[in-house]
Amino acid sequence: MRKFTLRNVSVSGILLVIAVSLFSSSSLFAQDTGDLVHGKVVDSGGNAVSGASVLNVKSGKGVSADQDGNFSIRAVKGQTLQISFVGYQPARVVYKGQANLAVTLFRENAILGDVVVIGYGTQRKEAVTGSVASIGGNNLRQVPAPNISAALQGRLPGVAISQTSSQPGATTQIRIRGTRSLTATNDPLVVLDGIPFPGNIADIDMNNVKSLDVLKDASATAIYGSRGANGVILVTTYKGSSGQEPQISINGYYGVNKVFSPFPMMNGPQFAALRKAAGMYLQQGGNIQLGADESLSNNFDWQKALYRTGNVTNEDISVSAGTKRGSYSYGGSYYENDGVIPTQSYRRLSLHGAVDQRVSKYIRLGFTTFNSYSYTQGSQVGLYNTLSNSPLATPYKADGSIKYVIAMPLDQQWVSTKKVLDSLKDTYLSQQKGYATYNSVYGEVQIPHVPGLAYRVNLGLNLYQINKGSYTAVGVNSTNPAAPSTASSGDSTGTDWTVENLLTYDHSFGKHQINALALYSTEQTQISSTNISGIGIPADALQYYNIGTASQEIDVLPGNQYYSERGLKSWMGRVMYTYDNRYMISGTVRSDGASVLASAHQWHTYPAVSAGWNVGNESFMRGVTFVNFLKLRVGYGETSNQAVAPYSTLGVLSTNPYNFGPSNYATGYYVSQLPNPQLSWEYSKTWNYGVDFTVLKNRLSGTVEYYITKTNGLLQGVTLPPTSGVNSYVANVGNTQNKGIEFSLDGTILKTRSGITWDLGVNMSFNRNKITKLASGVTADQTNWWFVGHPINVIYDYKKTGLWKTSADSAAGYENILQPGGNVGEIKVLYTGAKGSNGAPTRAIGPDDRQVMNADPDFIGGFNTRLSYKGFDLSAVGIFQSGGILISTVYGPSGYLNLMTGRRNNVKVDYWTPTNINAKYPKPGGQMSGDNPQYASTLGYFSGSYLKMRTITLGYNFAKWLKQFGIPQARLYVTVQNPFVVFSPYHKESGLDPETNSYGDQYQAVTTQYQHRLLTQGFNAPATRSYLVGLNVNF
Amino acid sequence: MKRILFNKTLFGMALAVLFLGGCKKVLQEQPRATYSPDFFTTQTGVVGGLTEMYAHLRYIYGQGYYYNTCEVGTDESTYGQSADQNFLVMDMTGQGVINSNTSRSDVIWNVCFTNINTASGVIQYGSKAGVSAALISEANFFRAFDYFLLVQTFGGVPLDLGAGVLQFNTKPTPTSVRNTVPDVYTKCIFPDLQTAVSNLPVTARLTGTVTQPVAKLFLAKAYLTYAWWLKNPNNIPTFPDAARTDPAGHDASYYFQQAYSTAVDAIENPGPYGLQPTYYDLHVGSNDRNNECMLYADHTQSSQQYNGASLTFSNGAAPDNFSYWMQNWNYPVMTSSSTNGSWKNVSSVQRASLQGYGRPFIRMAPTIGAITNTFADKTNDSRYDGTFQTVYRADYNLAGIAGPVYNANFMPVNPGEAVLSFLNDEPVGTIDYSNSVYKSSVGAGVLPGRADFVINPQGISRIVFPGLWKISNYRTDNGTGLGNPNSASTRPWNIAKFSELFFIAAEAAIEGAPTSAVTGNYANDGTAYGLINVIRARAGKWKWSVAANAAQVADHSADMIAATPVTIDIDYLLAERSREYYGEGYRWYDLIRTQEWTNLSTTYQICGKTYGDHTPATYTRTITPNLWLRPIPQGQLDAMQVSASVKAAYQNPGY
Repeated sequence: MRKFTLRNVSVSGILLVIAVSLFSSSSLFAQDTGDLVHGKVVDSGGNAVSGASVLNVKSGKGVSADQDGNFSIRAVKGQTLQISFVGYQPARVVYKGQANLAVTLFRENAILGDVVVIGYGTQRKEAVTGSVASIGGNNLRQVPAPNISAALQGRLPGVAISQTSSQPGATTQIRIRGTRSLTATNDPLVVLDGIPFPGNIADIDMNNVKSLDVLKDASATAIYGSRGANGVILVTTYKGSSGQEPQISINGYYGVNKVFSPFPMMNGPQFAALRKAAGMYLQQGGNIQLGADESLSNNFDWQKALYRTGNVTNEDISVSAGTKRGSYSYGGSYYENDGVIPTQSYRRLSLHGAVDQRVSKYIRLGFTTFNSYSYTQGSQVGLYNTLSNSPLATPYKADGSIKYVIAMPLDQQWVSTKKVLDSLKDTYLSQQKGYATYNSVYGEVQIPHVPGLAYRVNLGLNLYQINKGSYTAVGVNSTNPAAPSTASSGDSTGTDWTVENLLTYDHSFGKHQINALALYSTEQTQISSTNISGIGIPADALQYYNIGTASQEIDVLPGNQYYSERGLKSWMGRVMYTYDNRYMISGTVRSDGASVLASAHQWHTYPAVSAGWNVGNESFMRGVTFVNFLKLRVGYGETSNQAVAPYSTLGVLSTNPYNFGPSNYATGYYVSQLPNPQLSWEYSKTWNYGVDFTVLKNRLSGTVEYYITKTNGLLQGVTLPPTSGVNSYVANVGNTQNKGIEFSLDGTILKTRSGITWDLGVNMSFNRNKITKLASGVTADQTNWWFVGHPINVIYDYKKTGLWKTSADSAAGYENILQPGGNVGEIKVLYTGAKGSNGAPTRAIGPDDRQVMNADPDFIGGFNTRLSYKGFDLSAVGIFQSGGILISTVYGPSGYLNLMTGRRNNVKVDYWTPTNINAKYPKPGGQMSGDNPQYASTLGYFSGSYLKMRTITLGYNFAKWLKQFGIPQARLYVTVQNPFVVFSPYHKESGLDPETNSYGDQYQAVTTQYQHRLLTQGFNAPATRSYLVGLNVNF
Repeated sequence: MKRILFNKTLFGMALAVLFLGGCKKVLQEQPRATYSPDFFTTQTGVVGGLTEMYAHLRYIYGQGYYYNTCEVGTDESTYGQSADQNFLVMDMTGQGVINSNTSRSDVIWNVCFTNINTASGVIQYGSKAGVSAALISEANFFRAFDYFLLVQTFGGVPLDLGAGVLQFNTKPTPTSVRNTVPDVYTKCIFPDLQTAVSNLPVTARLTGTVTQPVAKLFLAKAYLTYAWWLKNPNNIPTFPDAARTDPAGHDASYYFQQAYSTAVDAIENPGPYGLQPTYYDLHVGSNDRNNECMLYADHTQSSQQYNGASLTFSNGAAPDNFSYWMQNWNYPVMTSSSTNGSWKNVSSVQRASLQGYGRPFIRMAPTIGAITNTFADKTNDSRYDGTFQTVYRADYNLAGIAGPVYNANFMPVNPGEAVLSFLNDEPVGTIDYSNSVYKSSVGAGVLPGRADFVINPQGISRIVFPGLWKISNYRTDNGTGLGNPNSASTRPWNIAKFSELFFIAAEAAIEGAPTSAVTGNYANDGTAYGLINVIRARAGKWKWSVAANAAQVADHSADMIAATPVTIDIDYLLAERSREYYGEGYRWYDLIRTQEWTNLSTTYQICGKTYGDHTPATYTRTITPNLWLRPIPQGQLDAMQVSASVKAAYQNPGY
């Protein structure tokens, strides 16, 4: 792997050399001719930008601006000068003989003068009336992350990014302003260069992102109608601009990953002590019982024997340029990440291109294309055996050869060590290959004789395919060395088309500016997949490529085949009006028809309106010099959500296989989900209030917003009582509400004449979610853990109040009544029932004692800081969360790692013994519920608070050494990802990264304990810490 | 140039018109990979609904936690060393309480109503779809079957699932109203089974499908159970409240008589069914699906897909057949010695996929009483030998370990020879349980001159006890190795046997049903004595000894009959049922039907939870009147969208 990566580095190196020599050849022969042009570089606030690079694109000669931003460079009339500086958008100026060139550089994420993408158009940030949060591509890339979603964590207020898996190539869960839907999707819509993007966000090459804008409130998202109900992420990629000289950008990094912290399992002596204390696996006489492969002299670290040092690398190159009547850009990138668990890896190759061409005075055509190929390996290796294998056993036989199975007192387990996995190359694998192509074509016609009126058609065509395959050879991952080989293969194809017809009108007269838009669109998505599996593949070499050869059995399970088609038709109109840059108003009406809803309820229409007032532009504010910009905004809008699975209105007939005698097979049918001919839209009403400001000579800018969203007619899968004869149905029942405050602040703390700049940005989001109504007016749905007045994310369980520390404690607290059959040292839970006159409880602990516990954090946020001096820059990004509950299935019962019986290895916990009565964890081998201690679920809940650093980067721009080669930007940097956790109670106890790594039904031994929606920390791949070194070059 | 421009504009507009039109089908839906419930009304759908009748059995029979509710807490079994709350609460010895959360009768509650609805759908749509009455009445059978199971377990249950009494429900109904016990019997169970008896063929449509004799067996058993309910000799409460009177005006003795005549009718007209020559033949894995087994939840080792469970590893969840794990002890811990000079542990009995071995879970254990009283006669009666695995034999060779190994008294043991024996009787000499020289690792003892470790009947404990040979797994694909002992069993789980007809008729006769001579293959005088002796005579026939793992042809029928008391009372009948059906999930239902639960199960004896503990202790169960009905599961109460008081009133009293 390492070799392969190095080769990639060298490939980009060679490209660099070629490119440099191509450009330098022209500069070598360039003459020092032309006028000596004088100019000054300032930022949007009028402050000098010292050290900015000024390059004569034609001659290739460049200079740096001095401390006051002044520069002098030779140029001939008509030649283009490029002015750039880190953190600013590069500017290009054509020298036309000006006596003094004034150049303004805008910060990548500047407030003023910046343009925001708002959906079907752009708007000056100043004029935006909805809630839009933006981040520039360069800023985003401060966190070298595998994909956009990972990079966004902690960067924008109101955008909560949670990790759902720690494996290579995994994406994250994105929630914009909380969760509003119970069972419909809460994922935001991603729009890539104007066309709704149906694929995996990981398919978007991060290096090519120019800006990312998040539409948060209904007045902003209304334009996307039902698709935008959960917010919209608009991704804009780099395009060439008309008349632009070719520009090449090369980026690359290489790094290694190490396990952030191993799971805190017991070592040999600790485990032996636990088994002894539990007393369940003891020999006659009381010594601990040992399995056939265990010995007290062993103390083996199974995790150490498994993990490896992973690596991560990313290389990309892109070219953009403009001609007189058009522009183009294209590029490609390669990303590779080998995880710390052997065989786990992710690779992605992406290619993208965009062309714009004006074909006549009135007509423009263009297309964009994004293509990616990804290759994921290694999901077959789980961590459970590694963590639960007894440290008293080793994976070696007496002669030193590998042991594949170990026997503990009750269990035999397969051994997954690095050595074992390396020895099974090609005979034990799980792979996924994904190919995706996202394309859009547009044609635009300026209507002759009506200035500002244009018709545009967008056509989006997407195709995505995934091929999954796995193969397990004879006896592999089984305690039976003769277990037959198995293979499975699955193919999934999605096609998706969108047609949008747009009529736009832009007009300014006097102080009036008007922009109007009408849209009619249709889109359809079809996804189908097939899966087959076989037992008894005759030869290892066949792997999963010919399951037809399976000698024992070929299965095509009905439940594993899939087909769905969904369509959406929409009409939309929007008008934006601005008067004198002071008063802005925007109104939208959209009507959507969705195929997935019952035929009589397919259409819904909703309005949105928002207004803004640039207070700062009023005459009475002119005297208030410390305020540079001040805007007040208010918006109201309705959106809807039709994000139920196709065919939900029709009900479901499920199947069950059966055999009549050994070889007569049949399939049974039963109704598992009832039809609902009333299924209709789930819709939300949102009020949004915002203030944007820039003060103190543009040194400090910020936004504060308050919002309240009420969602009615929630689409909900209702679990029916068993007596109805049917499991569930999907219905519109219940309401939720989200309200919250968000703020972001960006400031320049320090800026000295000597060139030191220190910027700091902070954002925080406070979201309060609650269910306000449930089906049939009930206040609680215990099956689904939904409770009126509580957030959607709650835990419904017993509440631990401590342990029954001593027998006196047990007697005084009536343990015999509350927890019959219990023992001293057992978990004590809250009793909510009545008490008799003597203070004794009247019943045992039971279902009525379960409590509703809020799992949502009080607030979340992030911060980023950047310190620069001359060519050096030091930046850091951190994230934090306060409150909420972290569910750790590592400590809870569903992980089967805290059985406390000594049966399998246990997570290292401070458990009760007669001499350690103040322990947090109960007496080993006490009363059991299933395989775990009674009320063990209460052991899996931790405070969700944490503060951690995401990345720290030190960079150096060495462009000045390369000026002679015409390279205006060249930066070398080193980054540490996930360097340390500053604060976290969970981290303090376990040493683990406090971020979640699994959905509620994953990476546990028992996956039915928690609802899927609750993110948990389970035994997924361990979190890693990465050390990267990277290079950015632009020329 | 202008023309070109015009043309291009026109082209653009034409393109727009093109995109605006068409696409009318975008808002229409047609599933293609799943069925919508409409399919259920077609002929193929109805037949698939019938297949589901059988498939649903797997979610009940073979489900180890439900199995536990049928055995732990009776005189047959108690909890084992590794028992968790699921098992401890069922023992009623102060190890937690049975409530809506801890009771595992939820298994049937969560399965039966769905199948009842499917059955109602088949009955409703069947004839219109062109399905014959014979086929449709299989659905009648199973609707009655499920209601019969529910009414015995929970008392009265709802007949209206939302669309009307016994109607196929297509209406989301988050409420429920329970009917009374007599309602459930007289409105559903009896009419449905009578329909099934009238319409079903005598021979099965497919292997294991229900027939007229099967319907007669269940009708007879339902009559018998209802007769007991009406009689209510020990004044056990019912719920919802109902007078112990029959809506049709009959009394208990009428229904005992109905039970008797229906069972005798089935014995006289057995169709293809009959008794196997020996008890061993009935249960040996190679003879599964024999003609004594009238109804079973089938499984297969030849198709993982249709088996519904992995053939290599099971997590212990339905539809896997994993009940037998529960009362299986951890025999692979047993050790012999690899040398005969000093003791060096070697695992001589490996976990193997052989009948009698398989996967150990140690959740349940037999009571000493079951071993010593119920199966007091272990020499004439072949049923002790045909029920338990009492001798564990060396199979280290299958794991590639070279022999011989040395065992008790450092005597060599070769593959196939006994490593541990549970003795039939208390030995004359004293067993040396010290494990000081010969380390069995399981606290087993040594008798002079014997190579095998031994355990006396009174020394059976919660951690070391004979496993259940008859219901354990059996595979023919082990090759030369240990096979897949961690999978669930791929054998069918027997639900009803021909032999039970004799017990039903005998029980009815004991309760006063007038008797008459039985004719046909199983001719007898028709009294309880005559009927039971047919079963006992068969039990005296030996072909093979499981303990000796060798042929043992003998006929002790005459001895068995000679030992039968002339007057058979209900306790003797129940003991005989336990000998015949030990560990098959009948016991709790037999005891509550006859109201002998408290009487027979209040105390039991077993040794402790640690290796080497061979001192029996007596345990006393607290069986309160409310426990005779299982609690309505919390899942039902949680999902009902009704007020707390309605929920409280829905629950059985005392929970």
